[in-house]
Amino acid sequence: MSVLRALTVLPEAAVVLALPPMLMSVIAKTKAWFAGRVGPPWLQPYYDMLKLLRKGTVYSRTTTWVFRAGPIVNLAALLTAATMIPVLSGDVLLGFPGDVVLVAYLFALGRLFTVLAAMDTGSSFEGMGASREVTFGTMSEPALFLSFVVLAVATKSLELSEMVGPPLAIAWKSVGPAMLLVAGALTIVLLAETCRIPVDDPATHLELTMIHEVMVLDHSGPDFAFISYAAALKFMLLGSLLLHVALPHAAGWGAVGVLLRLLELGLLAVVVGAIESTMARLRLNRVPLFLAGASVLSGLATAIVLVRSHG
Amino acid sequence: MPNLLLLIHVPLAFALLCLGLPFSWLRLASLAAGAVVHLGVVAWTWWVPSVGGTGAYLGLDPLGHLFLTLISVLFAATSVYFVGYHQKRLVSQRVFLACVLVLLAALSLVCLSRQIGLLWVAMEAASLAATPLIYFRLGPRALEATWKFVLMNSVGIALALLGIFCIAVSAGASEGGAVSLTVSDLIAGAARLDPVWLRAGFLLALVGFGTKMGLAPLHSWKPDAYGEAPPPVAALLAGGMTLGAFTGILRVYQICNAAGLAAFAGFWLMVFGLLSLAVAAVFIVGHNDYRRILAYTSVEHMGIMAVGIGLGASGSYATMLHALHNTLNKGVLFFLAGFVWRTYHSTRIRDVAGMLHRFPAAGVVLLAGLCATCALPPFGMFFSELGVLLAAAEQSRWWVVGVFTFTLAVVFVGVMTAMLPMVFGDPPVAAAGEAVGPRWRRTAMLAPAGVLALLALALGTYQPRAVTEALAAAAACVSAPGASERVAVQDPVEVLP
Amino acid sequence: MNTQMIVDSVLVLVILLDLAMLAVSRLATCIRLFALQSLLLALLPLAATTGRGEIPGLHEITVAAGALGLKVILLPRILLRIIRTGEIHQEIEPFIGFTASVLVGAGLVIGSFAVTRGLPLPVDRISDFLPPVSAATILVGLLILISRVKAVTQVVGFLVMENGIYLFGLLLLEQTPLLVELGILLDLFVGVFIMAIVVYHIRREFDHMDTHLLDTLKEA
Repeated sequence: MSVLRALTVLPEAAVVLALPPMLMSVIAKTKAWFAGRVGPPWLQPYYDMLKLLRKGTVYSRTTTWVFRAGPIVNLAALLTAATMIPVLSGDVLLGFPGDVVLVAYLFALGRLFTVLAAMDTGSSFEGMGASREVTFGTMSEPALFLSFVVLAVATKSLELSEMVGPPLAIAWKSVGPAMLLVAGALTIVLLAETCRIPVDDPATHLELTMIHEVMVLDHSGPDFAFISYAAALKFMLLGSLLLHVALPHAAGWGAVGVLLRLLELGLLAVVVGAIESTMARLRLNRVPLFLAGASVLSGLATAIVLVRSHG
Repeated sequence: MPNLLLLIHVPLAFALLCLGLPFSWLRLASLAAGAVVHLGVVAWTWWVPSVGGTGAYLGLDPLGHLFLTLISVLFAATSVYFVGYHQKRLVSQRVFLACVLVLLAALSLVCLSRQIGLLWVAMEAASLAATPLIYFRLGPRALEATWKFVLMNSVGIALALLGIFCIAVSAGASEGGAVSLTVSDLIAGAARLDPVWLRAGFLLALVGFGTKMGLAPLHSWKPDAYGEAPPPVAALLAGGMTLGAFTGILRVYQICNAAGLAAFAGFWLMVFGLLSLAVAAVFIVGHNDYRRILAYTSVEHMGIMAVGIGLGASGSYATMLHALHNTLNKGVLFFLAGFVWRTYHSTRIRDVAGMLHRFPAAGVVLLAGLCATCALPPFGMFFSELGVLLAAAEQSRWWVVGVFTFTLAVVFVGVMTAMLPMVFGDPPVAAAGEAVGPRWRRTAMLAPAGVLALLALALGTYQPRAVTEALAAAAACVSAPGASERVAVQDPVEVLP
Repeated sequence: MNTQMIVDSVLVLVILLDLAMLAVSRLATCIRLFALQSLLLALLPLAATTGRGEIPGLHEITVAAGALGLKVILLPRILLRIIRTGEIHQEIEPFIGFTASVLVGAGLVIGSFAVTRGLPLPVDRISDFLPPVSAATILVGLLILISRVKAVTQVVGFLVMENGIYLFGLLLLEQTPLLVELGILLDLFVGVFIMAIVVYHIRREFDHMDTHLLDTLKEA
């Protein structure tokens, strides 16, 4: 990597790393606005993380190294994925043909370690959460992969930054309906993977209904800070993937494009906040239907691009 | 040449009359008059030699003419039968009789239409007219039969429509512009039809019209509907409506044949036909409800007709002969079934044994009908089934010969062991004292059955030259389309608004 | 957005409505989804002709108006009336579960895309999505028809299937005579009307509309 490239990419990387808690803050503010409250200060998520980082951690004597590795591996996996997913500009730190598979599996790796750490505690609540997480994960992953297939066929590329880059703007013209379906599927995947309403309620206080929150009950101090940050990061990564697909920018927009993306990410957070404020969580037995919907949408999109690209 | 529209207008006019007339006997007279006048018009079309070109909506080719005649004869006989069969406590006799006449009009239109879209519309109208007839006895069982009939037939006819669309697409391959869906045009331009779409169209039409005809595995509504509908209605369905559906299949087959897909179409016809035979053989054995047994014999006879057509030119004459005798035979048997039902009020065979002792005339006719349906000589079905068998043997299709013979043997044993006690058995003691209604009623019910049975016997022993020619012309029309086009065509201006 | 894209999007929406009908359990929602689908299909021929820069002819307008009046307004009203008077609102768990039937439906959709790719489309067509979408709609209609318990839902299934056939018929809009098309619409109407009457009788006879009690007639 040339020095020049590093100089242009690194400032963006810094912004990208700092951004995720801010998005959580936007969601919190939106929900507060809907509830008629002022809400926490804008920088509250940062304060929380700093506070947690200064604290010590408590480990149960029944846990093993898996429990300690969980949050770290999860965060590491997501940070690695962040180097390959375009967030603000179309550029990425790392990009190679086939990286899309690695990205998908990095998400899976992060989930695997979170789940293992939860099960390592031996708590029945956390085991239940782990089981739900895995169930829903297996249903949202096909949707993610099928969406990648659609993008790969439409742009004839296996490199993520290309797949959601300028070639996509051309693909929109020929297979627009398929792209709309992919955007729909990715929205569902985003809501499911980041444990948002209508799949999971991040603000619930009842362990029986939790999915993600119940898995991380036993983590404390810096570990919990990592988990919160990783969750926010995951939201930003999947969100920007969705935005790149749904609203492709033509090449050469430069700084305007970057600012526009920043704005779009903020808007996405507002929309998610609005969904959380206005919708109720789905009954647990209807969630699979919702997630199957994502797979169906992306499967349909696959069929369409396959017909169009050869027809 | 009489105006062909008369064949549709006459029954419809009498149907309206049925709705309007105040007395039950007047309505029955109107039904009989409608059917008899229809038969008269059909006879007229035979009397006055028909000529004409091709291409319009309505016309009489030999195939349509033959089937139209069979249907008309059956309806005329049934309309007389109704006079004896009807009962005062029937609810809304008006609607019932009107529906019978509408069914006649719709089936006539099926036979007359030269355009497959119009044929479809007529066929659908026929099945819609038949639905109230099946539900006529009211109550949960009739309701169940009606629901199955409506649902399966609607789906079937929808698939047939899809098949017709596929054929239209195949025709659009070469022309691009307006596509004529008349049978003659499609046959004339058969070489240019797209084979892939034509195959798809044939299969869908076969499944669709096959449902209506009662070919296995889409026959499951048939025993229910024939078992629950009033027996004369079952006669109309088994002898008339099946012919209408068969016309639909034959029209599409004609097109496939002209396009050089006879082997493909024949194969699938044989598959469905043999499957129907096998299903009938399996379900007939050990049954104790005589009307359901008759329904399965109908499945069997439809299977024989499908196999016969599937065998190509050599089997099609036998098929036409079979169609003729099937119509007569189904009339006889279901008329008798209605007679038995009216007399004993039971559908179980052990309750109705010993007809020969109580009603010798009915017993003899029933015996004749049973012998005919099992293809005993001298009844015509013996010759038609033999013809199909010989055609299969001639083409060395030994598996067809094997399945055909075996299933027919099983059906023979099944029908005879089940139904012979109805004729010869000891009459049940309990039923002996029951009132059976006035004598004229019995006569009015038995007379049409007897006439049809005599007709079948007469045609079996001596077949006049004219009948042979008509059958041969119809067969040639199916197996060698285009060659023997002798179509009397109506001016299209009169049809289109 | 050009017309082609609008037509394509409408067709994709038709498929999504198919799948949505498999997913919902409320009968009224299902009927409304059907009405929405019919609305899209009724307007499609008009959109397609306008897109080609032509003014829709009498033929297109008549067919669209017929489909609109019948399948968007009349039939849904009849069906909604039946469920309202019958006080039956919910499909009970069908023979195939909702999630499973959506997945099966998706499989059928993808299957129809795969199968119809091989078929040559000779006539001047509106969109190359038309055959797969129509095949998918027919198959989903059949799926609803065989997998659901309530008689009303079965009628909806039949109507969805009919929608698929209508869609396929749009390929031939210019080639078929108006008379035949009106006959088809009329037959459809009478057919569903008769079905509605039978459903009404089923309800009166059995006090509900489940067809699984219609199984007394079988082989001894």
